[in-house]
Amino acid sequence: MDFIELEAIEGLRWSWNSWPASKPECSALIVPLSVMCTPLMQSSELPILTYDPLLCSQCGAVLNPYARVDYTSRIWYCPFCYAKNPFPRSYSGIGETNLPAELFPTYSTVEYAPGRKIPSPRANPGGPSLNSKHNWANGLSSTSLASMASFSSSSLSSLGGDLRGLGPAFVFVVDACTAEEELRALKNELLLVVEQLPENALVGLITFDSMVRVHDLGFSECLRVVLLHGDRELSSEQTQQFLGVTHIKQQYLGKAPVIQKQGFLLPVSECEFNITTTIEEIHSSVQAMLGHRPQRCTGTAILAALGLLEGCLINTGSRIMVFTSGPATRGPGIVVDTDFRNAIRNHRDLVNGHAPYYSKSSSFYQRVSQRLSDASIVLDVFALSLDQVGAAELKGPVESSGGFMMLGESFESSQFRKCVRHIFNRDEEGNLKMYFDATIEIVTTKDVKICGALGPCVSLQRKNNLVSKNEVGEGGTYMWKLGTLTSKTCFAFFFQVSDEQKVQPGSAFSIQFITRYRYGNMGIRKRVTTAARRWVGSHSPEIAAGFDQEAAASVMARLAINRAEKCQARDVIRWLDDGLVSFASKFGDYVQEDPSSFRLSSNFSLYPQFMYYLRRSQFIDVFNSTPDETAFFRLMLNREGVVGSLIMIQPTLLEYSFDGPPIPVLLDVRSISPDVILLFDSYFHVVIHYGSKIAQWKKLGYDKDPNHENLRKLLEAPELDAEQLVAGRIPAPKIIKCDQHGSQARFLLAKLNPSVTHNSTYTNGSDIIFTDDLSLQVFIDHLQGLAVQS
Amino acid sequence: MAAPGAPRPNSNTNNHPSQPPPPNYNPNSNPNSIAYNLSNLNLNPPPSMPNSGSTPSLLGQPPNFPSSAPLPGVPSVSPPFSRPGPPPGVLPRPAVPPSGPPQSTLPPNLAPFRPTGTPIGQPAPFGYRAPPGSIPLLTGSNVPPSSGAPPPGAFPSSGLPSGPVVSAPPPPGTRPSTPSPPLTTGPLLPHSSASSVFVSNGPPSFTSGALPGGPRFPPASSASKPPVGPPPTMGFAGATPETPTMHSLVGSPAIAAPPPGTPLQPAPPFSAPPQGVPPPPGSYGSPTWPRHPGQVAPPPPIPGSVQPPRMFGMTPQPLPNQSMTAIPVLGQTGAPVSGTSKVDLNQIPHPIPSSSPMLYETLQGNQANPPPPATSDYIVRDTGNCSPRYMRCTISQIPCTADLLTASGMQLALLVQPLALPHPSEEPIQVVDFGESGPVRCSRCKGYINPFMKFIDQGRQFICNLCGYTDETPRDYRCNLGPDGRRRDADERPELCRGTVEFVATKEYMVRGPMPPVYFFLIDVSMNAVQTGATAAACSAISQVISDLPEGPQTMVGIATFDSTIHFYCLKRALRQPSMLVIPDVQDVYTPLQTDVVVQLSEGRQHLEVLLETIPTMFKKNGTPAESSFGAAVQAAFLAIKSSGGKVLVFQSVLPSIGLGSLSAREAEGRTNISARQKEAHKLLQPADKTLKTMAMEFAEYQVCVDVFITTQTYVDIASISVVPRTTGGQVYYYYPFSAVSDSAKLYNDLRWNVTRPQGFEAVMRVRCSQGIQVQEYHGNFCKRTPTDVDLPGIDCDKTIMVTLKHDDKLQDGSECAFQCALLYTTVYGQRRIRLTTLSLPCTSMLSNLFRSADLDTQFACFLKEAAHKIPSSPLLQVREQVTNLCISILLSYRKFCATVTSSGQLILPEALKLLPLYTLALMKSTGLQSDGRIDDRSIWINYVSYLSTPLAIPLVYPRMVAIHNHGPKDKDESLVPPVIPLSSDHVNDDGIYLLENGEDCLVYIGNSVDSNILQQLFGISSPNEIPTQFVLQQYDNPLSQKLNDVVNEIRRQRCSYLRFKLCKKGDPSGALFFSYLVEDKSPSGPSYVEFLVHVHREIQMKMSSS
Repeated sequence: MDFIELEAIEGLRWSWNSWPASKPECSALIVPLSVMCTPLMQSSELPILTYDPLLCSQCGAVLNPYARVDYTSRIWYCPFCYAKNPFPRSYSGIGETNLPAELFPTYSTVEYAPGRKIPSPRANPGGPSLNSKHNWANGLSSTSLASMASFSSSSLSSLGGDLRGLGPAFVFVVDACTAEEELRALKNELLLVVEQLPENALVGLITFDSMVRVHDLGFSECLRVVLLHGDRELSSEQTQQFLGVTHIKQQYLGKAPVIQKQGFLLPVSECEFNITTTIEEIHSSVQAMLGHRPQRCTGTAILAALGLLEGCLINTGSRIMVFTSGPATRGPGIVVDTDFRNAIRNHRDLVNGHAPYYSKSSSFYQRVSQRLSDASIVLDVFALSLDQVGAAELKGPVESSGGFMMLGESFESSQFRKCVRHIFNRDEEGNLKMYFDATIEIVTTKDVKICGALGPCVSLQRKNNLVSKNEVGEGGTYMWKLGTLTSKTCFAFFFQVSDEQKVQPGSAFSIQFITRYRYGNMGIRKRVTTAARRWVGSHSPEIAAGFDQEAAASVMARLAINRAEKCQARDVIRWLDDGLVSFASKFGDYVQEDPSSFRLSSNFSLYPQFMYYLRRSQFIDVFNSTPDETAFFRLMLNREGVVGSLIMIQPTLLEYSFDGPPIPVLLDVRSISPDVILLFDSYFHVVIHYGSKIAQWKKLGYDKDPNHENLRKLLEAPELDAEQLVAGRIPAPKIIKCDQHGSQARFLLAKLNPSVTHNSTYTNGSDIIFTDDLSLQVFIDHLQGLAVQS
Repeated sequence: MAAPGAPRPNSNTNNHPSQPPPPNYNPNSNPNSIAYNLSNLNLNPPPSMPNSGSTPSLLGQPPNFPSSAPLPGVPSVSPPFSRPGPPPGVLPRPAVPPSGPPQSTLPPNLAPFRPTGTPIGQPAPFGYRAPPGSIPLLTGSNVPPSSGAPPPGAFPSSGLPSGPVVSAPPPPGTRPSTPSPPLTTGPLLPHSSASSVFVSNGPPSFTSGALPGGPRFPPASSASKPPVGPPPTMGFAGATPETPTMHSLVGSPAIAAPPPGTPLQPAPPFSAPPQGVPPPPGSYGSPTWPRHPGQVAPPPPIPGSVQPPRMFGMTPQPLPNQSMTAIPVLGQTGAPVSGTSKVDLNQIPHPIPSSSPMLYETLQGNQANPPPPATSDYIVRDTGNCSPRYMRCTISQIPCTADLLTASGMQLALLVQPLALPHPSEEPIQVVDFGESGPVRCSRCKGYINPFMKFIDQGRQFICNLCGYTDETPRDYRCNLGPDGRRRDADERPELCRGTVEFVATKEYMVRGPMPPVYFFLIDVSMNAVQTGATAAACSAISQVISDLPEGPQTMVGIATFDSTIHFYCLKRALRQPSMLVIPDVQDVYTPLQTDVVVQLSEGRQHLEVLLETIPTMFKKNGTPAESSFGAAVQAAFLAIKSSGGKVLVFQSVLPSIGLGSLSAREAEGRTNISARQKEAHKLLQPADKTLKTMAMEFAEYQVCVDVFITTQTYVDIASISVVPRTTGGQVYYYYPFSAVSDSAKLYNDLRWNVTRPQGFEAVMRVRCSQGIQVQEYHGNFCKRTPTDVDLPGIDCDKTIMVTLKHDDKLQDGSECAFQCALLYTTVYGQRRIRLTTLSLPCTSMLSNLFRSADLDTQFACFLKEAAHKIPSSPLLQVREQVTNLCISILLSYRKFCATVTSSGQLILPEALKLLPLYTLALMKSTGLQSDGRIDDRSIWINYVSYLSTPLAIPLVYPRMVAIHNHGPKDKDESLVPPVIPLSSDHVNDDGIYLLENGEDCLVYIGNSVDSNILQQLFGISSPNEIPTQFVLQQYDNPLSQKLNDVVNEIRRQRCSYLRFKLCKKGDPSGALFFSYLVEDKSPSGPSYVEFLVHVHREIQMKMSSS
């Protein structure tokens, strides 16, 4: 079975496709039982059902192909809890030859997109209050749901449009300490965004320097701005009170709530002129104080945006988009003080405790995360700066809300423009391609316990008997919240086998992922993926056969970076090594105490290599990265699917030569050769490396010579491929073109396996890398040695 | 005598026929009458009766003298008058000011006070007893004199008389110089010695202060006094108590004077003294003379001379001296005993306004010259001592010991008004630049070089006149001494020959560069403010005033509005339109970057104008919260200009109910809780809590001065709010009930004057005294952080600081005691200056000297300030009692130690202080001392008094009232403001229209049977029933209206205040308000003047007998 094919259907990659039936055996697998799930994976065959899903009255699972159906009595048996459920009247025509789509065996994934009509209260509960989420399963009274729905709709109507008409809300948080030219580029981009937003989208604008300015877009006489102090950490209530967007907490039935008109968040259709003017009037407030950084209160600005959105009760999904050009220097979330004599913290400072603000700011952002998640708000950060901006501190809320982070150098760069435009892409119907306010619920057969998830999500702390006490990552729940997600966002879910249950090897178990989200047009959709696998007996060869080393590597990578957040790199590496050694000794084929006899079967063979590159990747080894970069890399890894993750862990290297079509070559220094072009892709960087001869030819302009057509083609090929690689990724990788021995070649050399170093005896004319790092060969040798020890 | 008579001048007299009385001094009462007076007094309050009848008529006609006389004099003088700045009057301004009229006006003022009404009104009652026989004389004489007044004008003429007078002076001996003077001015001259005297003549005329006028005279030419005797009027009265006719003062303007004139003059003794108006000379002279001698000299001017007190009934004549000075006593004249009853009202002392400016030299013959009354019109020549405008002492001679002072019952204090407006014809203050070394100072006490520092050892050393230390003269400041012991260059160096100079401050005097002028406007835009039009009025006022702000690149402006939040405006030119920055946190305030909200005037002007136009509609359209966050807004404005300091001008309309320093409607709470209210009533006059005080202290520290314009219709707790301006050297303007129709013009004018008047920033002031005396306390609008200095973030020409003094040692009789006030400040043009004001006064160990040299205006101003100071902290009854007791104890002391005579039936008043009872009575009836007034009205009164200047102190409690229904065209010479009428309802007729002003408010009373023609001409209405509640003075195209406008403008100019007008009519609350200002009437709030005199007299008698 090809894992990748399966993934295309299910959107899932399982580290183990066959699970041992007993708990001790599972622990012995080293690589945990886990699933890499891409909930909204794009698929051409996805059936879209225009009605509401049928839920099991007991466990809340959605009707699926694994359910046993009794057509005569019109009853279906839930495959998870075995409860008996009747079909409603609308399914009256059901029969073996007339199956609803969700029962088609091939449709393991279906999407429910109830009609465009206003969703009935029963179907709409998610909007305002996820809190009541699983109630629909447990029969929460529909009145309470109805009241909540009406609550949210009435408060929304305060914004001046009817519920349906409102689009998502965007609050732009702009750093006014940006230099004038930079700011101009940013303003142009924002104007473009505003111009292209759907009419019903809500917009808000906040600028900040040493203070926070919340712009009133509904005031016509002049530009009106509410100024908030940059140093104060305002509570949600205070912010709302200051902005005058307080909503009345108690509502009495039948009484029109008193709505205060506010102008901070308005539909584009109402305020296009004002917001355009306001954006144009943003001026750089850089105060050139010698030896000081500008005063920025990024944290307070984010709080203000948050308070505003909370006050307006936007539950249809909203984004706070922060555009900053430097570190926060005051207020909550401060990164560094304004004095240039105090450098921004680096990894060593963090380790030594020399970063005075770090833990305080991190815990501040932790609180922000919580609030973001409660209100289904996404935080995006665009940091365009030559220095760090505090992304390490900001990572928490960005990651947990599923937001977007970009670290770049200039607002004038195309990279930035591309990112922004990508985010605001629209589909054929003109809807933004954004999925907001999502939740993922997992239902499993009762022998499978849910441990947790790693990825851009937040545990909702919903517990039932399927939730394991053993937590991994965001655990303790069967349901997670995602501020937003894309079709590529991938989560790692962890499971374990229940202790008591005696399962019959050979029997099947299933796991159902129910992803509820708000589509670009604000309608609610649910995607349901149901997958089944088998229990196998101990020592069954099926276990090994079901091992997906790529999935396993990416799962281990997520575990490693999760661990790295809390411990030092050295400990993480040791943990990885220990795991690898145990793993190798369990699954290797060898004679005790004879390293040379060590062999791994093909579907295990790459795993040690992945681990080798993971160990020395920027995710674990932070040397040479700033905390900001590290945070960014980890954040990206934590949401990338298996394929992307692997590129990050072990970059790909293609060789272009006159000898034939491009071929993948070893990620090794010996792949460098004067007469080839190498295309290196580490996900974040794409390097086109010209061998010294090629470089020289290029320099001499031979490629422009019609007589050397093939040289031109050779030069073109990697560039075209690079373009393609870049196109699908956001943020776009940086493309670096370099010549052999050029300074930029360092991006490549740093990632290559240093099989030839200055210490090597024989170089065979190959390039060498000046490093004391151990090479893959040495690593494997050691591994073999250790693995065969008894 | 004649000469003397002059003084009285008539002007007063003239003006008001009745005035004469003022002259008070002279007592002409009939002896008899006097004697009885007392008794009578008690008995009869009625006096008025008779008069009353007459009175009216008086008004109408009579008073010839007064008016006529004075006028003449005045005119001449007047011209000078026009004050530069003041005339706020918008439209009006142009009005006459310049012309002679002004002068006239002044006089009028004077006149008003005193004389007018009274004299006439009460014919008989008091005569000044002065000249015994004189009654007739008096009357006659006085008048004449007054009429003679003209003479005053014509100094020369007076000259002769003066001569006589002079002679008199001699007695006093004090001023030799006198003689000469006489010549010059004529009447005045005489006084020269007693400069004041002259002044008096003149003065009366000028000073509006008229009141004092009377008294002053005396001082001036003691001699003169007699003549005028002011009393002329009195005289009349006295003479014929009955003669109302005579008095008819009122009418008088015309000519009356003449008639009575001559003969009577003698009588004048009273009045006369002061003004020894020439005219009367002859007549007066003689009569008076006798006394004169004494008087003359003594009077104020002459320290040495003893002053006789004035007695009520009897004059103390006995002593020559006394008689002279003394004065006016109140007599109960008339009545001889029989008691019948009447007190001759004409003899009750009343203020006499002077009509023309007199010339006053601060130092004559090396002796301090007692200052003219603060309320009079005078031109100062600074000959070594400072002009009394800048600093004046309650007593022009300093008692040698604390015991002596205590015995006198008076208090010793200075009133300092360092930036007072000079008279336009005075020399400007000279600026001295000592270069880098800075001004020469005593190395021990740090006193500054001044004309009284004595150079010795050929100029190599100098002795500090303050601490007595001998210092080395800096090498480059040395100069040889002349034979007289003065430095040869003394006359070329202003600091050695002028009482007031300005030094250029060196770096040593700056902790930072001089601050630029920064103006920050704060406007209340809460619902109420917007709806009542207060916001619009404020915006329009600011908008018009922008062009009046000091020009220059340094001038910075900022603006913010506030309701339950604070809205700053970014005025940067880079923006296409002003942007509003809202500060929502009114508990813990902060501000935008200063560079955003405070911009150079030139940069922000355009945006500012646009903005001011938009603000009123902007908030109306968008709706605005009802709450107002005054405290927070001020704090925010402060933060915005903290780095530079500057002025914050706040326009507030409602009780600040939210945010930092919010207040509660305490008044209402007080009302519901009656028992607490009575017990704690005065607590409502104290600030509610310390928040605002603490804030204000911080403002002051950063040189931020706050002025508050309160445009309200409700209680706003001024007691609490006013703490801010008081502590920061600002002031409170109060418009209640605010009307957008009638108050907008005043608001604009007040604002304009606020920013255009001479002023300084970031000032520090200290008063140093000679050894033996030390400063006890400072009172006024400032912040005190160190015991010795007061910090004034803002100081302007209207602010006065009272400095109380105490002895810490004995002084040497015959030595001089100096006071030096140094004010370090920054001008609006960013120059750092030290204004130095030095006053050196002789010391005396004689009680009588103290009484003679008492300065009534100053004393009363102190009196007033102390009372105001106590009101918030003590029960009202106690304060009132203290006020009365203070008055009584002074009079008692005089009676006990100085008055030689005495029939128990007489109330003897020291000449210089003869109006003290009247003012005391007026004070008791003033807003601040009434328990039934609105709390805010009382608070604002207290607040106003705290910085009130001396010339305005008396009008505040004893307003000026003039009739405006009948003045037709007058001679050019005449004073612009019509004669003053005493504040008694006897002088208010049903067919008249009266204007009453106290420097702040102006009430126009329209009688019920006024000729509708006049009404039409003046107000555009045809009957009193159509009187609008919101009145805007308009100018119609007819002489009457024009005249009224001229008069009003003149008054505005004099007061530096754009008056708040209110039309009053009988039978209406407004009428009641008007009558409540007639302090001489008996009213629920206190006894009539006569009754009060009787009460005082009784008290004194009781104390005398008990001791």
